[in-house]
Amino acid sequence: MLLRSISRRLLIGLIQLLGLTIAVFFLIRLLPADPVSRLVGMNASEQAYAQAQAQLGLDKPVLEQLALYLGLMPGTQPGLLQGSLGISWVTNSPVTSEIAAYLPVTLELITLAFLLAFVVAVPVGMLSALNPGGRADKGVFVYSLFAGSQPEFWWGLLFVYVFFFQLGVAPAPLGRLSPMTSPPEWVTGFILIDTLIAGQPAKFVEALHHLMMPVFTLGFVLSGPIIKMVRQNMVRALQSDFVLYANCVGLPRKRVARYALRAAMAPSMTLIGILYGFMLSGAVLVESVFSLGGIGQYAIRSVLAFDYPAIQGVVLVITAISLLVYLALDLIHAAIDPRIAH
Amino acid sequence: MSLPVTDPIPEGDPLTLAPRSRDGLLIFGATIVAIVTFLAVFGPHIGPYNPTLTTPRVAVPPPKFTEIPSTLIGWINGTLPHAPHWMGTDASGYDVFSRVIAAPRTDLTIALAANALSLTIGVFLGLIAGYFRNWGTEVLMRVSDVMQSFPVFISAMVLVALAGRSTTNIIIALAFVYVPIYVRLTRAEVLSQTSRGFVEAARALGQPEIKIALRHVLPNSMTPALIQSSVTIGFAILLTAGLSFVGAGVRPPTPEWGLMISTGAGAIILGEWWPSVFPGIAISLTVFGFAVLGNALERRYEAAQ
Repeated sequence: MLLRSISRRLLIGLIQLLGLTIAVFFLIRLLPADPVSRLVGMNASEQAYAQAQAQLGLDKPVLEQLALYLGLMPGTQPGLLQGSLGISWVTNSPVTSEIAAYLPVTLELITLAFLLAFVVAVPVGMLSALNPGGRADKGVFVYSLFAGSQPEFWWGLLFVYVFFFQLGVAPAPLGRLSPMTSPPEWVTGFILIDTLIAGQPAKFVEALHHLMMPVFTLGFVLSGPIIKMVRQNMVRALQSDFVLYANCVGLPRKRVARYALRAAMAPSMTLIGILYGFMLSGAVLVESVFSLGGIGQYAIRSVLAFDYPAIQGVVLVITAISLLVYLALDLIHAAIDPRIAH
Repeated sequence: MSLPVTDPIPEGDPLTLAPRSRDGLLIFGATIVAIVTFLAVFGPHIGPYNPTLTTPRVAVPPPKFTEIPSTLIGWINGTLPHAPHWMGTDASGYDVFSRVIAAPRTDLTIALAANALSLTIGVFLGLIAGYFRNWGTEVLMRVSDVMQSFPVFISAMVLVALAGRSTTNIIIALAFVYVPIYVRLTRAEVLSQTSRGFVEAARALGQPEIKIALRHVLPNSMTPALIQSSVTIGFAILLTAGLSFVGAGVRPPTPEWGLMISTGAGAIILGEWWPSVFPGIAISLTVFGFAVLGNALERRYEAAQ
């Protein structure tokens, strides 16, 4: 039963991804941009232009380009069906391996930011739900509205000014490690894990130090919507019949609150999933403030260089991860609240 | 940060939240929106300097707190060699204050136009999708789903960068991103409206379906979308600023808050905080104002229901 619904969801997801791939493919080719002249320069000779155009495969009919990209033409280059996202026009290396190098940076950043936001949001949201309409609730409400509507890149810069320039407690916003430190051997791409695997605790601390401000910046803006959601679901759970019953039976207040929290967390999962998927590309501004080199910065670079295969790859991978996260969280939702599965 | 999340659950308990405190927030939000609108109309003309012309004074810090009174007196008496730079000048010599108050014309125009465009298209499509339920509207909803699963920031960036960094293209890109939200909101409202008696009544009177949809269902289904507008405008300002920040927005020297922050970003590590801090405060307050106003309106609407 569960297995069937998972495979159904995966199938629908695949169809959606295929639709998205084709949509993006045509969309970027419909826009009036000229990637060839971006590559060879404005003053290139006609011959050089034609040569570059042929090299990128842009001289072929669009449908043939699409078939090549999807990998439907055996005997030529590998395509999507063979698990290849094409070759970057700028760096000439496979998009798949480039994305694999950039993606963990972003995943690490946003996962830590979510953990931070969650650790803050759950108690705060619960407290404000225990006394709806009270002074604390109103204060928390204004805070969450404020945090959720902020330009996070500006806050990042502000934190850099205060904590790096004025107080000197944070490192310069120049990457995941100081420029002088050699990075640990690449195993997972998550720098906190890789430094531990390499057995270099000093570098682990350094990486943590460098991640502190970006995680704090993102955690701050994320805390807004998450607090709001926890509070709403908690208020609803506290008003439900089973809490009334538990209170009537005379269960201790703490235990009732724990039951209510569990009931409140379940529906929160959907929004967490949407936020996580959104953050995969939404973290781009914070990544560029702190020069972390994540998938968002890769996207900026590709877009500004008109690197079509890279753009398509980034959009496809981010959407695919979002869909998988939605699915995973729906499963967790069903595990917390068994009523959903039926 | 522009979250594409419209509350899946309506904010509850209007009973326990005293209406007076909400009115305080409503006034706060409305005041900010009024100030920004005023600046969008008059901002470029009332600043002490031309917002798109440099001055010979580069990277001048703003007057310190203790210097403000004497600067003010000197300014009034006309003893200063030039009008004071209340927020300093940036690395190219632009007067930051003049640019901060001129920027709403750019930012608000883009946000309002993008919102109007996506609202019009989204409400229209949402009405069709909710009122005429057939395979065509089913396809429409699936397409809207796929559009909504696009990574927002990256798709806006792709559209603007590839189509050319003009104001019109930014407006179209933002509208593209926000249309699915309005389709969804309106469709849900249309579905709940059509189950009410007045549609049945209009049908019994023999009115044509098109007329029922446009005359009776549409006016009754627009409120959620209109309320969402305030939030969307705020987020559109954030997105516009973010696009400029990564170099895929308006071109310099257009006065635009995100561009100003971006220009000042390099100097902030060296301690020159003023070129990026002041426009940031402006964005922060503006978007918060729009969010507060939208939220207050939403609560009023729900309390009235």
